[in-house]
Amino acid sequence: MAGGPAANRIRKAIALVNSVADEAGDEEVTPTEIAEAIRDCLELSEVDEVPNVRRYLGEALDAVSDGMPADFVAMTLYAALGALREGGQN
Amino acid sequence: MGSPHRVRALPGGARLVTESMPERHSTSVVFMFAGGSRLEDERLAGVSHFIEHLYFKGTRRRPSSKEIADAIEGVGGFINASTDKELTAYWARVPSEHTELGLDVLFDIVANSRLDPADVERERMVILEELRMYQDQPQDYVQNLFEELIWPGHPLGRDIAGTEESVSRLSRDDILEYADARYRLPNLVIGAAGSLDDDDTLALVSKGLSLREGLDGVLAALPPSPLDGPRVLIRRRETEQAHICLGARAFSYLHPDRYALDLLNTVLGEGMSSRLFLNIRERLGLAYDVHSFTQKHRDTGYLGVYIGVDPKKAVDAVNAAMAELRSLGESEVSADELARAKEFTKGRLRLELETTNGVAFWLTYQEVLLGEIKSIEEELALVDAVTAADVKRVADELLSGTMQMSVIGPFSRDSAFRLAIGA
Repeated sequence: MAGGPAANRIRKAIALVNSVADEAGDEEVTPTEIAEAIRDCLELSEVDEVPNVRRYLGEALDAVSDGMPADFVAMTLYAALGALREGGQN
Repeated sequence: MGSPHRVRALPGGARLVTESMPERHSTSVVFMFAGGSRLEDERLAGVSHFIEHLYFKGTRRRPSSKEIADAIEGVGGFINASTDKELTAYWARVPSEHTELGLDVLFDIVANSRLDPADVERERMVILEELRMYQDQPQDYVQNLFEELIWPGHPLGRDIAGTEESVSRLSRDDILEYADARYRLPNLVIGAAGSLDDDDTLALVSKGLSLREGLDGVLAALPPSPLDGPRVLIRRRETEQAHICLGARAFSYLHPDRYALDLLNTVLGEGMSSRLFLNIRERLGLAYDVHSFTQKHRDTGYLGVYIGVDPKKAVDAVNAAMAELRSLGESEVSADELARAKEFTKGRLRLELETTNGVAFWLTYQEVLLGEIKSIEEELALVDAVTAADVKRVADELLSGTMQMSVIGPFSRDSAFRLAIGA
């Protein structure tokens, strides 16, 4: 399992998105909060060390801006996390 | 298998292949016609499959489907047919003492079917329902979509049953004309395996052979055009699971590397000890169903991977599958893994040839498509001759081709999927 700082931030973003997708939690999570969590990931240089991670995160950010369903945003974030895993960022 | 097979020339260019398996109690007979859906143009798409259905509706001697079924089932036998992209097969498996009956019924349906106008209309409705039902089975439908991508604009990329438009339009005259052109002696190979005598079978077959000679209106099988580049095709459906097929064009059944391709496929995704299963399902827990498969035709083929996955994990699973594909091109499979793949492939072939039906199909299929028949020992030797370097070379070659991917699931854009396969 990918376990570096980028992976941890992506997981945090996924948790936020999933709480929207699953309609879980007491407080409503806004798209702005999700976008902020994704931008936090993009700030790390680690995301440039493995091909496609930055691009998946960029896709996820675009999906939030475009009002795409939370499941779709989650899928793109999982893809970024998976790319880190395949890239050996453990 | 029993004693070696025999191939005999029949009048008009047809051929008979027999294999005596004296220890069995049944005989299987296959009538295989070269042709199938790849010879159909867009207007006639699905006509071969339509004809196959109609041939079970009644003949002059057995005027209804019940009488056809009764003739074979009355002796405990089985009768069925299938249409493929390059052939159409009618077969019966009967207790050996009823071999003559099996042959008689098959001759009857391929030479004397009534093709009654009312049956044509009834069967049209059945086929249209079949096409719609198929679209409701995403695990199968996604493979059809994948084949559309692999062979765009080519008959190989179309459903064997045609399209709703073509099936709705086909007239009885179209069907009669096509059947008359394709169901001719030079296109026919009859295969028989089981408790039979080669010479007796030849005599029975010669007695029943009544199809016409020569070929009129034969359509040439055009090769598919080269692919422009990687593509993703998404059908948006609110399914609980995402269904994904990805892969690339591979080899024909005539290609010398076809055995290496089969072993690569086995290592990659056949069975519960394959890399895709162990890594994507067991280690990563990404997908419930993941496997790979090949399809081979005269001049083309493909290697595909199917993934059934939670939509949220869809792209992640695709990336993981791509990583497995890439790893096969990066380093040779271990001696142990290759040996297991060979035993798997050889074992499956042996199991397939346990039944008289399996042997009859195996022989007839080779004679129709390859024009020659290899023994099982020759086939197994070719599997054994594949090296780890061959598998790596084949993986390299396939990965240098353009990847194609079809997806059915709740997705409204394809950007993340395109990124995964470099489209």
